[in-house]
Amino acid sequence: MTLPGWTREPLVHFLAAGAAIWVVLAWQGEPVDPGSRTIAVTREDRARLALQWEQTLQRPPTDAELDALTEQFVREEVLYREALRLGLDQDDAVLRKRLAGKMDYLAASMAETATASDATLQDWLRQHPERFAPEVRYSFDQRWFATRAAAERAMAVADPPGEAISLPPALEQTRRREVEERFGDAFRAALDSAPVGGGWHGPVASGFGWHVVRLRAREAGEVPPLDEIRDRVEADWRSATMATRKDEAYRVLREAYRVTIAR
Amino acid sequence: MRKTAIVAASFVGLAIGLAGCGDHSARLASAEEQVALAEFPERPLWGDTHLHTDNSIDAFGFGTRLGPDEALKFARGEEVTATTGIKAKLARPLDFLVIADHSDGLGAMRRLYDAPRLLIRDETLLRWHDMMHESPQGSQRAMAELITAAANGTLPEAFQDVEENAKNARTIWTAHLETIDKYYEPGVFTPLAGFEYTLMPDGNNLHRVVMFRDGFERTSQVIPFPGVGEGPVDGLWDYMDAYEKATGGKALAIPHNSNLSNGLMFELTMPDGGPITAEYARRRARFEPVVEATQIKGDSESHPFLSPNDEFASFGDLGWELGNLPLTRDKSDSMFAGEYLREALKRGLSIEQRTGVNPYAFGMIGSTDSHTSLATGDEDNFFGKHTGNEPNAQRALEPQNLGTRVGRFGWHYLAGGYAAVWARANTRAEIFDAMMRREVYATTGSRMVVRLFAGFDFSDADWQGDWVRAGYTRGVPMGGTLAEQGKAPTFLISALKDPDGANLDRVQVVKGWVDAGGQTREQVYDVVWSDMDKRARVGGKVPAVGDTVDRAKATWTNTIGAPELRATWTDPDYRAGQRAFYYVRVLEIPTPRWPLYDAVRFGFKLTPDAMADAVAQERAYSSPVWIGPKTAAPATAFFDRKRLSKG
Repeated sequence: MTLPGWTREPLVHFLAAGAAIWVVLAWQGEPVDPGSRTIAVTREDRARLALQWEQTLQRPPTDAELDALTEQFVREEVLYREALRLGLDQDDAVLRKRLAGKMDYLAASMAETATASDATLQDWLRQHPERFAPEVRYSFDQRWFATRAAAERAMAVADPPGEAISLPPALEQTRRREVEERFGDAFRAALDSAPVGGGWHGPVASGFGWHVVRLRAREAGEVPPLDEIRDRVEADWRSATMATRKDEAYRVLREAYRVTIAR
Repeated sequence: MRKTAIVAASFVGLAIGLAGCGDHSARLASAEEQVALAEFPERPLWGDTHLHTDNSIDAFGFGTRLGPDEALKFARGEEVTATTGIKAKLARPLDFLVIADHSDGLGAMRRLYDAPRLLIRDETLLRWHDMMHESPQGSQRAMAELITAAANGTLPEAFQDVEENAKNARTIWTAHLETIDKYYEPGVFTPLAGFEYTLMPDGNNLHRVVMFRDGFERTSQVIPFPGVGEGPVDGLWDYMDAYEKATGGKALAIPHNSNLSNGLMFELTMPDGGPITAEYARRRARFEPVVEATQIKGDSESHPFLSPNDEFASFGDLGWELGNLPLTRDKSDSMFAGEYLREALKRGLSIEQRTGVNPYAFGMIGSTDSHTSLATGDEDNFFGKHTGNEPNAQRALEPQNLGTRVGRFGWHYLAGGYAAVWARANTRAEIFDAMMRREVYATTGSRMVVRLFAGFDFSDADWQGDWVRAGYTRGVPMGGTLAEQGKAPTFLISALKDPDGANLDRVQVVKGWVDAGGQTREQVYDVVWSDMDKRARVGGKVPAVGDTVDRAKATWTNTIGAPELRATWTDPDYRAGQRAFYYVRVLEIPTPRWPLYDAVRFGFKLTPDAMADAVAQERAYSSPVWIGPKTAAPATAFFDRKRLSKG
């Protein structure tokens, strides 16, 4: 069940899709073109069929097998063309989706195989530093209380002891997602608005109860140089470029249409 | 003979694919070295060891079109678009991920789908090809046929062509290994190489996830080991053994869905029916240190038939208890004992008593087994077992398409679990080693923080100081083994709620042991619970915690339960010389399950039986600690480690 290499060629997809569209248009607009009733199986076609066979079965077909393959090919071609004439391709959800997908694929395929130059990636890194900057890091002390009232009372004390819970009383330069993992979303959000370098702040609510917090530092990380994170930058550039190509290709095509939607 | 050939073939092409990756591997290795190791594990790392992408034959067949790239992006916290077009994002990212695509027919379904129709000679394959192209429903029907065929050993020959499959597997595996390296950020996010070995005699589920410790240089020297039609499981261990010898790397296997094995996963005998030998027990314990206790296709910790006195034993059993995976064989009561983990742990003690080695000395983790490329474990964010039941208004009440006979419905699926790993740093080696020493636990999706230490001199005073250090220096953590000292073991137990989840109801210790008459026994102890002063035991039982779930809105409040439960607990029934294990089960207060969220979101009414199961107590299962006579060969001898070396 190997998929022959040529079937992955964008050019082949393009030609196939083009041929299909051409056939449909030809059928819709004009009386039946006698040419479309002609099927010429070239030597190249036969060679291609033989090659597919060989790639599947690891041996060349016998003459009889090749003839059978050719006959099968012709049969499928005849039925395919007749199906198009009957409009069986219309309203076929699978066909629609598949052809639409092929168009997307065509648009994106260049980006999939292109190698990005250092300059391109450097540019990309400069344009999207937030995607590659390390997360914000926090250094803080916290004390936990079961009730808000207890936390408020503790604010008055110089070094509140806090109640017993298995949460770290202090964290040093801890990444944002780790703080969120250990203290939850609400607590981490409160750290973003807490004053840095002051005394005890709060009470701050979390999924556990109430905290008083002394935020000692909140550091935004610097973007590392390209050579340290080249893979990440390239992967990001590639997937973004593929998406952009699809969108651009679609926009160009879309502009040629007037779409009305009844509501 | 054939097995040997496959193992040998797996090593052919040793050098293939190595070129071009050297730079990258070197960079990763240096990044790994720069990650600081904590002295003791500081927080559990969260992950899924069991995710399928479109490279899995059935995941593709069921319709998923997301691959490893999307799976990795999603797991590390990015938003992706699910196959059905819905935006998907995790509320909190995962720390690690094992993509475990089925080794059998790796990528085969995608190739069949893409293949020119003209070239498909096999009638069955052609029918499946057409069904897949016809509609998503057709695709799912094709998949159901394929799973049944695999279970019955009637797969089309093209799927059984060893050489062709190996060639295809090599291509996909190499590409996959390159992909996961691309996403590996030591210290931040760790994808590990793995695959699923899908051994399924007569449809009885003996599946394992195989997970590697190593990077591209080693893992690219093998290809995933096929499971369908082969067996017994020794073949897999031979493969792992050969991998370790040839590459110097390490691999472990994680059995799962023992609840669908019809009694075969944890037998008292060898697969051929003879008594278990010490050699078999040793190999099993060595290669399978961890078992998946809970996942989308049910929970395998306990069953009411085996544990009639445990009122919480039935979680995630409904529907799955009817038979094997494709429901080609019904289940009889006598099969339960070979399926549920608590019983397996007990059987392990009894086999150890006889042979000197415990084959079932395993730790416990949870995972998803999602076939959507989306590792979702949260009840309010469940993306389905496969693409056919990504969020939609019908999925909760529809009959499952796995197994064509009656009895299993959408709502029987659980939202999936996660694996919590007490590692010293977020790297492949640290995560793998923590699994080897079983310092891991399972949750049903919630992110509770559970610590367990066992020793002989712990007391309540330890809570006043650095009790984690006390635990590691004067005892053993979960997964460890205590050498008997003629007195009862004492445990330091702490369970901290999920910071963004529900409060805790109670912490229980589950003990299993072999009594003086050689019989295995079990006992569940409530050791600490919320509002202990108001919830005094009635007739030996702690009263239920209550229920705040609003069925009409799928909401609940943390007005009951506790944020943390701690206990110093000593076994009151211990007898010197006893061979026993102890693990912790933590229960949250009741919260809505995914079918209730669905009912509210999509505005439909659950059937009475679905409604009765729409609220549950999410839970965590720690790995056990074992204690036994000093003379017995400790099951941990192979990965000789009870304490962490100072990092």
